[in-house]
Amino acid sequence: MESPPTKQTTAQATLVPPPPPPARENPVKRFLGRLKASPATKIRRRKAMNAKIHKNLGWLKLLLFIVGYVWMLVIPYPDLGRKTYSDENALQPAQVHTSYNWGDVRKADKYLEGLESLVAANATSERIATHLSDEFAKLGLLTATQAYNLSTTNDLSSGVNTYAILRSPRISGAEAILVGASWLSRTGEGDGTLNLRGVSTVLSIASFLRRSSHWAKDIIFVVSDGYMDGMQAFLTTYHGQTQSNIQAQPLRHSSGVIWTAMAIDYPAHSFSHLGVFHEALNGRLPNADLLHSFQLISRYAGGVPVIMYDHLDWREHPALRKQFDWVTPKWLPRSIRDRKELKTFAYHARNVWRHWGYQARGKASGIHGLMRQYRIDAFTMFALPAVGPHGFHAIGKTIESTLRTMNNLLERLHASVFFYTLTAPDRFIKIGNYLPSAVIVSVAMMFTGLGFWVDAGWERILVPGGKALAIGGKALAIGETAFRGEDRWKQRSRPVLAVLMIMALTHALGGALYTLCTTAVFLQNIPILLPLISLLIFGVPIILSSFIAPSASSQISKTLQALNLSFASTIISITTVLNFSLAALLCALLGLPLALGSSAAPTRSSPSSSGYPLKYPVYTLYALLGYGFLTLGLLYSPNLVVQAIQGGVRDWEAFGVWFVPLFCGVYVPLVVQAGVVVLLA
Amino acid sequence: MLLPCFRHLHLLLFSLLLATPLVFSAHEAHTDEDAKYAQAQEQARKFFSATGSASHTNNWAVLVCASRYWFNYRHMANTLGMYRTVKRLGVPDSNIILMLADDMACNTRNKAPGSVYANSKHLLDLYGDNIEVDYRGYEVTVENVIRVLTGRVPDHYPRSKRLLSDERSNIFFYLTGHGGNEFLKFQDNEEISAFDVADAFETMWQKKRYNEIFFMIDTCQANTMYSKFYSPNIIATGSSRLGESSYSFETDYDLGTAVIDSYTHGVLQYLEGINKTSTATIQDLFNAYDPVKMKSHPGIDTHLSKRPVNETLLTDFFGAVARVEVDQSSNDYTSLYLDEVENAASLTPQTNESVVRVLSRGGSHEHTPAISQDASWARAMRTWGGMSVLLVLLGGVLVSSKRRATVTTLDT
Amino acid sequence: MSATTRTTTTTKGLGVSLGATLSTITALRICLAFTKDVSTYLQYEQLLSSPLTSYTRLQEGLFLFNHDVDPYSGGLFYHSPLYLSIFSTIIPNSRFIASLLWTFADALGAWALVQIWRARQGVSSPTSRDSLVAVSYLLNPYTLLPSLALSTSSLENTLTLLAIMLASQRLHSPSLLALALLITLNPSSILLLAPVLLLLAHPTGPKSNLASPSTGSVLTTPLLKKTVLPLFAEFFAYIAVLVGASALTSGGWSWVGQNVFAGVLLPDLTPNTGLWWYFFTEMFDHFRPFFLMVFTMHLLIYIAPICVKFQHDPLFATLLLQGILGTFKAYPTLADPGLFIAMVSVFPEIYSHLRHPIVTTLLHIHAALLLPLFNHLWLAHGAGNANFFYASTLVFACANGAGVLDCLWAGLRVGIEKLSTGEKASEDVEEEWTVVQE
Repeated sequence: MESPPTKQTTAQATLVPPPPPPARENPVKRFLGRLKASPATKIRRRKAMNAKIHKNLGWLKLLLFIVGYVWMLVIPYPDLGRKTYSDENALQPAQVHTSYNWGDVRKADKYLEGLESLVAANATSERIATHLSDEFAKLGLLTATQAYNLSTTNDLSSGVNTYAILRSPRISGAEAILVGASWLSRTGEGDGTLNLRGVSTVLSIASFLRRSSHWAKDIIFVVSDGYMDGMQAFLTTYHGQTQSNIQAQPLRHSSGVIWTAMAIDYPAHSFSHLGVFHEALNGRLPNADLLHSFQLISRYAGGVPVIMYDHLDWREHPALRKQFDWVTPKWLPRSIRDRKELKTFAYHARNVWRHWGYQARGKASGIHGLMRQYRIDAFTMFALPAVGPHGFHAIGKTIESTLRTMNNLLERLHASVFFYTLTAPDRFIKIGNYLPSAVIVSVAMMFTGLGFWVDAGWERILVPGGKALAIGGKALAIGETAFRGEDRWKQRSRPVLAVLMIMALTHALGGALYTLCTTAVFLQNIPILLPLISLLIFGVPIILSSFIAPSASSQISKTLQALNLSFASTIISITTVLNFSLAALLCALLGLPLALGSSAAPTRSSPSSSGYPLKYPVYTLYALLGYGFLTLGLLYSPNLVVQAIQGGVRDWEAFGVWFVPLFCGVYVPLVVQAGVVVLLA
Repeated sequence: MLLPCFRHLHLLLFSLLLATPLVFSAHEAHTDEDAKYAQAQEQARKFFSATGSASHTNNWAVLVCASRYWFNYRHMANTLGMYRTVKRLGVPDSNIILMLADDMACNTRNKAPGSVYANSKHLLDLYGDNIEVDYRGYEVTVENVIRVLTGRVPDHYPRSKRLLSDERSNIFFYLTGHGGNEFLKFQDNEEISAFDVADAFETMWQKKRYNEIFFMIDTCQANTMYSKFYSPNIIATGSSRLGESSYSFETDYDLGTAVIDSYTHGVLQYLEGINKTSTATIQDLFNAYDPVKMKSHPGIDTHLSKRPVNETLLTDFFGAVARVEVDQSSNDYTSLYLDEVENAASLTPQTNESVVRVLSRGGSHEHTPAISQDASWARAMRTWGGMSVLLVLLGGVLVSSKRRATVTTLDT
Repeated sequence: MSATTRTTTTTKGLGVSLGATLSTITALRICLAFTKDVSTYLQYEQLLSSPLTSYTRLQEGLFLFNHDVDPYSGGLFYHSPLYLSIFSTIIPNSRFIASLLWTFADALGAWALVQIWRARQGVSSPTSRDSLVAVSYLLNPYTLLPSLALSTSSLENTLTLLAIMLASQRLHSPSLLALALLITLNPSSILLLAPVLLLLAHPTGPKSNLASPSTGSVLTTPLLKKTVLPLFAEFFAYIAVLVGASALTSGGWSWVGQNVFAGVLLPDLTPNTGLWWYFFTEMFDHFRPFFLMVFTMHLLIYIAPICVKFQHDPLFATLLLQGILGTFKAYPTLADPGLFIAMVSVFPEIYSHLRHPIVTTLLHIHAALLLPLFNHLWLAHGAGNANFFYASTLVFACANGAGVLDCLWAGLRVGIEKLSTGEKASEDVEEEWTVVQE
């Protein structure tokens, strides 16, 4: 890749006489002869191959880009995935009779009444927590409350958690299962809908579990205050971590290592489906065995159909057809629109899209998401509000059976996969079937970058023929007799240091952006300050690039583009393993845009004279891609942008979601670098 | 002629001693003169000629459950079911080697603590009473199975852990667990292969440790496990073909786990119908195999056996019907008993001694953490000694090189 | 790596004096030691310290030693007894002192590297590249991070550089002593013995002779007999004394198996950046001795060819063997390849002949990001497994191997180019011969 075909920068010279005139041979002999060709022939062959690769590099890159992007688009295609399966033999899902009965349902109703009267009386967090703790204590469980405050730059939240521990009589208490419910439902990501029924379910489950003794793990019940904050405070304290912006009371009771957990979210009177939410912070996911077990249990033990998130399957609910018009638009002929595969594709696509939305931003889709950082496999079961037919009885049975399955575990969930994409509750895509798409795009970027690297180091000069010219570089004098008379390559030095300085500067700019973003002043005045900062980021490169001598600029531009692409490609290929959705997002935003960069520039034909007329428009496009879209968004929906930024910063400060630092420190600088490439081209 | 006969007889008598409740006097056989051996030989010949087709005098059963963990409940139930049947048909506990992980009855996940059931209605508690597990927990290993079969157990092992069979022993060998093509997993940790079992049987044959073996295995692809046998007098049967799984029979939804495998369930169902005096043959058992009910295709291999299976009684393996003739003249079995007691007595002092030794070693160890003043002095001396050697070397080299440098500059 | 340094030769030096660079960076490190105890976060990182160089294990060993328990009796402590001697006598064993010691050791190492650079250039006055050379050691993340983690591999790196520096300055005895000390502390550095002896015996010493490989064979019998043999004898005498000091300190010989042969017998399979641990974790026990032998022989097998091929430039041979050590030794940390990369800065003449500097650099960036990531995924996050980390060590080995190979070829090419251009000038052979380069 490194050197163009005519230059062989290898280290050993062999002086070889020209090959003798080819004698007539039969093809077999010739083939065999090829196999044991002399080194010189081999070298010549390799040379020819390198030449071919270099010549066709453009096509190869294009092919890779197309394959990568198309692959990404067809990820929801049904045949790419497979049915979920259970890898861990110990789980034995849905193989128990449940004994959660109507008496327990009545208890749940009573708990609910108690909670509703408290809410009606506008009780404080503390009051509610004490009430819950009293209820747990009545059951004879170890229980306590925990007050906490969580402060971020722009926000201060406080509340009181309640927790109770059911000590299993026949074990030492080294392992535990957590059953949690947050006070606020995940509806609208904690928009204020109360999860009263979820909390009542937890209480009634606790009272139900008191009656049995076959638990191999302690069971911890947590009713966390707020939406996510309470659980974060509880978990950090439980695991002995200190987070500088959380002040929480120490826990009075403790149990063993929590292996698995489930969060119960039951906001409305009754429900029709149980939705699975599984995305954890920073794109992590729980073990797939857990989700598979749950969907079996819910279906067979609880008798409740399972859905992804709150997405009803539109194949079963024709009324929802409208939601899928974007996949199967009306103008498509009916024969195509009604194809089963396309319908399934559309259903999967919606799920995958939602999943990418959570994973790429690193957001947790519920309180279960806070647990994965402590190696707890967890999910939220969301009771989809409906007029019927299910209530406490169904959810109680499902929880009981799920607990039995979790109870069967002998070691942490490890057998099945941690890297997957669920397309439906019972279908998933293995890592091998989606990861290559992003890797291919990153390889294409790498090739493009290396191509620019070669271009930056070598200049092609047409030589009329005759004797070899002694051009500048000492490395050039030999090895080109075969190409004499056609063209020559002239080596030139690459301004790597200058380029590295530029890159470091852009990342410093990103760092500054991050520092600004996390100040209270910025967060409170986003509509004013955001355009200003964007303008600054827009202006600085223009001003600084004007200091670079025009003679050096095209070289710098090429080298910068080479390193920029290589670096972006590295970032993407490494991110794929951690967080595929983020990698896919980066592929979409960085892949082609960075690679196209200066290709519109007329450097090839007439390097010096005309300049680059489209320079500023293209630069502006890059600015929009990198950070300008936020400002643009302000024009349309200021609230959305403000909330997104505030939420992102809060997620980072409260839960350690990497999205904002990554955006400021990596993404924006990479796009700014691409902009600089255009400015200098 | 005489000498081999003598040897032969001695062995025979010895094995009879072990197998029957009535004991012949070994001592007498040992010490008596030739005429007496001739007489005994004659007696033995008569004895065996009277027994008809079966030429065995004692029965043994080796029952192995190769799994552990709660979700393999059914394997333990399989084995205990087999244990119950074998015992019911007359093989005494002393002749049964039962190998179990034994982690079900008292498992915290067991909703019916202290019991193991093989059916979902909880009709019969297989763990009820009188369970003698000879190898339990982590003792159930491939090595121990091979050692038991070939008789190479450590000296200190009790009789309950030994397969004290001889060339007149019929052995029923039952295995269950998770297996595959020509292997069976042991407790998710190791595997026994079909070759291992085959070679163990050959060793047994050469060491005259069996007369006939009835090999039965319930696992996935079970029939591959007996495909490598090459020793004589083995009847083998397995639950499923190559590439075929063996399935559980039913799940107990209270316990939350499957309680027995289909094949073993079928076999046990059949065996429930026979008693000690049954004349049912092994062929009858094979005829009762039903691939539909067993959810797999059980296999049968009789090519190594000399006797046709339709003439081989089930009770030849599942019962202990060794024929016994009471010899009035030699009833001095107390001497043997005394012998054992003596042996035991001779053992105890040793054990005591070793215990004492261990204790004393432990005691001496306790002194070590306390650091004596002398030791820390010696250590300080040593470290400073080492350090000073290092420093002297460093200094010496630096000085000498400096001097040399000055000399060279002077030279120049 | 090299791409960075490559252009800096063309741009006019950084213009900062060596003293300023050294003191600034040292001062920053000391400030860091005062304000934040970084080592507590880094000391358990498997990339930064191996069982043989871990600071926590050294502490454990010292504790046992001071309580009169033989630290070598368990499978925990593999440091040399000289460390025990040093840290229980002249250097107080405290974390703060340790961070100062490691900082100064780094500064000393950087200074030694600059002296090597000057000796190679044949100048004794400051050059414009001094600071760059120093920075390539001090701020190289591969050497900086292990030093912050208080891995003793940093101290061993300093000793390596000192030994090479003293050899370049033709100070026989100190150089041999430093080398002997290094090999006592870390026996796998025995690989460097041959090139350092050669460096001492070589007529032109550390000066660059890459461009003139055919200056005549250096490895002649009289040279070997008259110069190398006495040097070796002296080295051996130092080793004997140091072994004696070690035995005296530990009060026995149990350390021999635990320290000297640790790199051969591989007693501890804690994951590290090298290639041995995974291989021997997976191996059946009965193959172990054989493959231990193969791996050890493989490491030693490079010494002779490299020393013979580069007998005209022993300093370059030292560089290559250090690279091989960093790639293939039993218990490497990041510091070992880090030293190789830092040392490359002393050889700017090969930069223009490097074949794939950007590929090597990209491989290194990938490896440097993947190693901690997969280590974390496996051991902290629990979503990955050992194979993930092993895969990343393979990438790292590829990066190191590519670096060594690239340097090797570039070193050879420098000479060949001179050769062929010389021939071309003398007679016009172009018409009959195709000059092909492999």
